[in-house]
Amino acid sequence: MDSALIPEGVKRCSTGKFALFIGIVGAVLLWGVYAMLLCWLKGLNQTNMNDYYGFALWIWADLAVIALGGGAFFTGFLRYIVGKDELKNIINYAVLIGFICYSSALLILAIDIGQPLRGWFIFWHANVHSMLTEVAFCLSCYFAVLSIEYLPLILENRQLNKVPFFHHLAHNMHEVMAVFAATGAFLSFFHQGSLGGVAGVLFGRPFSFREGVFVWPWTFFLFTWSAAAYGPCFTLSLTKLIEAITGKQLVGEKCVNLLAKISGWMILTYIIAKIADTWYWASVLAPAQGFTLMDFYSNNPVYGIWILVLEIVIGGIIPALILITERGRKNPMLFILAIILGVIGVSINRWVMVLQVMAVPVMPFDTWAMYFPSWQEIATTILPVAYGVILIAISYRYLPVFPQERELND
Amino acid sequence: MKIDRRSFLSLGIGVTAGTTLSPLPWKLTDDLSIWTQMWPWTPVPKDGEVSYVHSVCTLCPGGCGISVRKVADRAVKIEGMDGYPGNDGSACPLGLSGLQLLYGPTAIQSPLKRVGERGAGKWQKISWEAAIAEVAEKIGRLREDGKAHTLGCITDSDCGTVPELFKRFLTAFGSPNFMRTPSCADTYEMTLKLMHGTDASPGFDVENANFVLSFGSGIIEGWGTPGRMFRAHSAWKDKKVKVVQAEPRLSNTAAKAGQWLPISPGTEGILALGLAHVIIKENLYDKNFVDNYSFGFEDWKDSTGKVCKGFKSVVTDRYTPGYVSGITGIDSGDIEALAREFAGASSPLAICGRGQGSVPGSIHEFMAVHALNALMGNLNRAGGVSAVQRADYITWPEPEPDRVAQNSLKNERADGAGSARYPYTKSLLTRLPAAINSAEESPIQALFVANANPCYTLPDTEQVREAFAKIPLIVSFAAHMNETAEMADIILPDLGHLERYEDVPTPFGMNTPMVGLARPVVSPRKGARHVGDALLLLAKQMGGSIAKAFPWTGYEDCLKKTMGKSWTGLTENGFVAKADYKPAGWDAAFATPSKKFQFMSEACGHEGKTGLGAVAAEGDPKAYPLVLIPYDSMRLSGGAVANTPFLTKTVADTVLTGKEAWAEVNPKTGGKLGLAEGVHATLTTPKGSVRVRVHFSNGMMPGMIAMPRGLGHTAPDAYLAGKGINLNALVGPVADPTSGLDAAWGIRANLVIA
Amino acid sequence: MKKAQEQNKPKKYGMVIDLDKCTGCGACMVACMAENNVPFKKDESNKKDSITWMRVYKLTNDEKYPDADICYLPRPCQHCEGQHGHSPCVSVCPATATDYSEETGIVSQIYTRCFGCRYCMAACPYHARYFNWWDPVWPEGMEKMLNPDVSPRMRGIVEKCSFCFHRYQSAMDKAHYEGRRDIEEGEYQTACTQACPAGAITFGDLNNPAHKVHELKKHPDAFRLLERLGTNPKIYYMSNREWVRKAGDNHLMAEKPAKKQH
Repeated sequence: MDSALIPEGVKRCSTGKFALFIGIVGAVLLWGVYAMLLCWLKGLNQTNMNDYYGFALWIWADLAVIALGGGAFFTGFLRYIVGKDELKNIINYAVLIGFICYSSALLILAIDIGQPLRGWFIFWHANVHSMLTEVAFCLSCYFAVLSIEYLPLILENRQLNKVPFFHHLAHNMHEVMAVFAATGAFLSFFHQGSLGGVAGVLFGRPFSFREGVFVWPWTFFLFTWSAAAYGPCFTLSLTKLIEAITGKQLVGEKCVNLLAKISGWMILTYIIAKIADTWYWASVLAPAQGFTLMDFYSNNPVYGIWILVLEIVIGGIIPALILITERGRKNPMLFILAIILGVIGVSINRWVMVLQVMAVPVMPFDTWAMYFPSWQEIATTILPVAYGVILIAISYRYLPVFPQERELND
Repeated sequence: MKIDRRSFLSLGIGVTAGTTLSPLPWKLTDDLSIWTQMWPWTPVPKDGEVSYVHSVCTLCPGGCGISVRKVADRAVKIEGMDGYPGNDGSACPLGLSGLQLLYGPTAIQSPLKRVGERGAGKWQKISWEAAIAEVAEKIGRLREDGKAHTLGCITDSDCGTVPELFKRFLTAFGSPNFMRTPSCADTYEMTLKLMHGTDASPGFDVENANFVLSFGSGIIEGWGTPGRMFRAHSAWKDKKVKVVQAEPRLSNTAAKAGQWLPISPGTEGILALGLAHVIIKENLYDKNFVDNYSFGFEDWKDSTGKVCKGFKSVVTDRYTPGYVSGITGIDSGDIEALAREFAGASSPLAICGRGQGSVPGSIHEFMAVHALNALMGNLNRAGGVSAVQRADYITWPEPEPDRVAQNSLKNERADGAGSARYPYTKSLLTRLPAAINSAEESPIQALFVANANPCYTLPDTEQVREAFAKIPLIVSFAAHMNETAEMADIILPDLGHLERYEDVPTPFGMNTPMVGLARPVVSPRKGARHVGDALLLLAKQMGGSIAKAFPWTGYEDCLKKTMGKSWTGLTENGFVAKADYKPAGWDAAFATPSKKFQFMSEACGHEGKTGLGAVAAEGDPKAYPLVLIPYDSMRLSGGAVANTPFLTKTVADTVLTGKEAWAEVNPKTGGKLGLAEGVHATLTTPKGSVRVRVHFSNGMMPGMIAMPRGLGHTAPDAYLAGKGINLNALVGPVADPTSGLDAAWGIRANLVIA
Repeated sequence: MKKAQEQNKPKKYGMVIDLDKCTGCGACMVACMAENNVPFKKDESNKKDSITWMRVYKLTNDEKYPDADICYLPRPCQHCEGQHGHSPCVSVCPATATDYSEETGIVSQIYTRCFGCRYCMAACPYHARYFNWWDPVWPEGMEKMLNPDVSPRMRGIVEKCSFCFHRYQSAMDKAHYEGRRDIEEGEYQTACTQACPAGAITFGDLNNPAHKVHELKKHPDAFRLLERLGTNPKIYYMSNREWVRKAGDNHLMAEKPAKKQH
């Protein structure tokens, strides 16, 4: 029925099957939309956030998807700036995932703020001292860049490409993509960093405060670094996922191997820096404010010391060691384990930098604050996932996302 | 024109670009954000001219001067009134939030007649004429049936024009059953009657005392006039005046005190005697006062000629530090040290009346505590306790009851006060419910309730409600819906505390006679009338000698005429006080038979010769191994007026969570019972069983459970009703053998994990 | 010339709260709510979403019976100065909806500017900032008690103690109207200070030697909350009890309470 839209020379499932799939995921999406509307119309009392948890599930989801979407800027950076040509085989998918992550992040932010209709004040009444202002500007700009990077792919749709204007536009955009990729990498450096800075500058919150260079706390650099390191893990995870679902190989071995290797080394260097940072914080910064490391890891269900182990050892050292070795990358099970642990590792990092910051009592007579999200929060957090699944499904079906697909499946 | 794809797209892009470049989206965005800044459902308070009205807060018996800020005709803020005797600019949180009562949803808007079951909350609005006519008709029938004495009246006070109008109405009508809600003022007044021989209320010169020994009085928890006590407390801190607090729970007063003596509850009087023992043994007392101005210190002969033991013998024979230590649980060394410290101060003040003083307490305990002041000669002088004469400005001619009334007045009171059993007691409201419940026909056939909420504040609330259900006619003069008004047959809504005139005579504890003026801050609700006016209307409707007893055109007329020359001063300053007042000297102060201060009184014979024992709590220690004690808090109003939303907002989450109340126990006690912080448990007393949550507190004496007064309201108020537990429902009254007044300080209880 | 300089010296309003006098009665909280049109809900027992610009904490010394002790600690916004006015919250607000006034030292909050990102709440270690999770609702008739000097807030924004800034403004207006350039200590007092029946709160210009707080803050028993974080707050507390002074900050096990520095 829609065969005219499907790229030439590739096989896609039947329209009915596709529609059923979209219908199911669409139902989840609608559930999320309903929750979103509740939050907008009735206010944030629909959530389980409170005055202790001003930042909660959403901000974590925001930071996490942006970190995971980091695969886009870093792959772009490697492909266009560093010149790792091999990565052209995964760049489209990386850009698509990045686009989904960043549009989701913006959507979540629009739900998260108490006065969405005034959200634009962040630009209009911008406070240059605020990390969040920097985030907002860079995030919006980088989203525009991602749109520009994603647009030529849309225009390469079989039917759209028949329009000469679109054809030329797409072609010309490809020509200048290096400029956008460079811009994107630059913007990403800042907003990934600023997101780290959001927590790192909170000098009233000893758990998150990490002094650094000039106006930037160490978290600024660590966030950029970790997004670059772990983002590709997410891109690769989703590549493996879509390959499993479609039952086809979509990206060449060489490309995957290269990206995984770079990611592994990035994670390794990052985790060394992270350990050094944690060490300095635990032994110098926090004690100066009267805290020992164990003051931050209470014996409660969520924030025991295990979470630090999970983040650094299980989600950092282990995937790094697997990915930097040839054998690790070649072993499918270990490879999958490593990229999944990587995704978990960075997500945990963002979790503690958002939620544990809120949970730790600072005033000596205060107590640990616990929190569990409401269904509205969960639904609105799943909403972007459903949206992402749909967008990937449609893009995969109608756009030449994987340039190697035909060659690998002939 | 044929629209091809190209032109369609161009058009689309053109329209998008055009709209974006036009001012429309930007204007809309701006408008939307402006709209969020002034949502139509967020109120915008109207501005206007600012003015201040001085009045007196009557939400509790403390009687603090307040200054109410108005903007145009709205009252917007209550503050303490500078220069008012006692509180001088300060105010308590309940008083500060008084506007929430004034403008709140519980204010009653018109006379109501009960249409459903009693207490079901079904009402019919009726006119004032119809309401007054109905009440007059019903109580008129009582007079016709020779039952005039079965009309009762409950109010919060027995002095001032409003209580006097009620008393007058009852006298003219023919009933002796005027009842005041109980408080420690009852026992203190009786103490003064027995020891000083005067009809007076106690005055404490807290400002000049330089050592304060409190037997459980909540000095900073609402005892006396809160504003005044808070100020005095801070002044003590500045002057390094030591406060010693004896009570089983680390209350705020105890925590702030220089010394906390955790004492077995009910043994406070024994501690006082133990201190007296040391003071006498070590000759530390004021010999001039004791030798020349007191009676009963040494052994004496009673009216029959029998030799009686004097205070000195009783105390020295029996109340040795060792003995007292065994009963009170306080180290005997501490008792001796405290006695010496107390006696060493030039103006040591001993006070009692637990918490806010809402329970009268044991007369022997009060006398023992007062004897400590007497031993130090700290009576009627700076820094001491004085007997303050009752207000004397009400000089109305005696009413002239008709024959029906005269005959009827000869009947005994329904509560037993003033009877041969309790000759010195004026009101025994806590005995009334039992009297009604045990009688075939209620000895009270009609009841007026004003400024009181006995169905909430009296102990053993269930018994009270049962008794009230047996009263054929209950007329409530409540301004706001409360538990007692809910039990009424007719509600004649009174004006709220910021809508009415009222004289506020010397509050409990003030040592200078005075009168303050509460006055309308805003124009009153249309459907409500001043309780005085309602009473005048009723008297007029009754006609005859009753109408004659009320010659005034209205309450305001009555008040102005009563105050006479003072009226100008009252309206200008908000109060009239005798600035040069000094209590009588020792040679003229006492009106006992001996004309001296009496350490011992013949009135106290009912307990036998053994002197003072501890007051036991109700309940079998085997079935109820623990003891439940109530406590008072400034953040909860335990009195007739319920908490405001603001006040409830200040209540800690370890006191109230959602609708659940918490009970405090010592962690050790809790651990033995298998409890943990925050668990649910069943609290059972001989009076009932409730579900609570457990809060561990190291400030609790082991074996005790503490819960606050002021929760568990049922009256319709979405901000308060159904929250927590009314402690009064769990504790029954324990009658003092001499006074008959409630001496309960708690009740035996059990706490089991739920 | 010197006098003119004196008058132009920036003010630094602050408080000294005597914790030994504070009785925990809650009058400051209620006075603040009444003065500042703070909304109230049917259930306010969840203290994590209950707006109380002034909150009185109950501190315990963690000793066993009978050595247990209690202290109450009223916590308004600490109006942190940080370094050069960079309080924890002001510098993070992306929309400049909160500001540090160099003239008075007061940290303000512009309700109509705030878009509810709650970053300032995350930044404040004192939990002095509150979010309007709900629309404020006054039962019918009760909106009559609203103070016209303070605008009621709308859903979705952050609010906090303003040191009753409207009182400062009206005092200054009055002074200017009367031809004076400045106000006396007594002319500008916050609602909580005025209401405290124990007289535990002293409010004034910390920079002005004529104001009581100027001397009081130098008392050897004076301390500030979480001084070690560098928030540089303008609320000083006083207590002669060591455990209370120690409870004002975090200390490592081995540390003795820090020696006071002024």
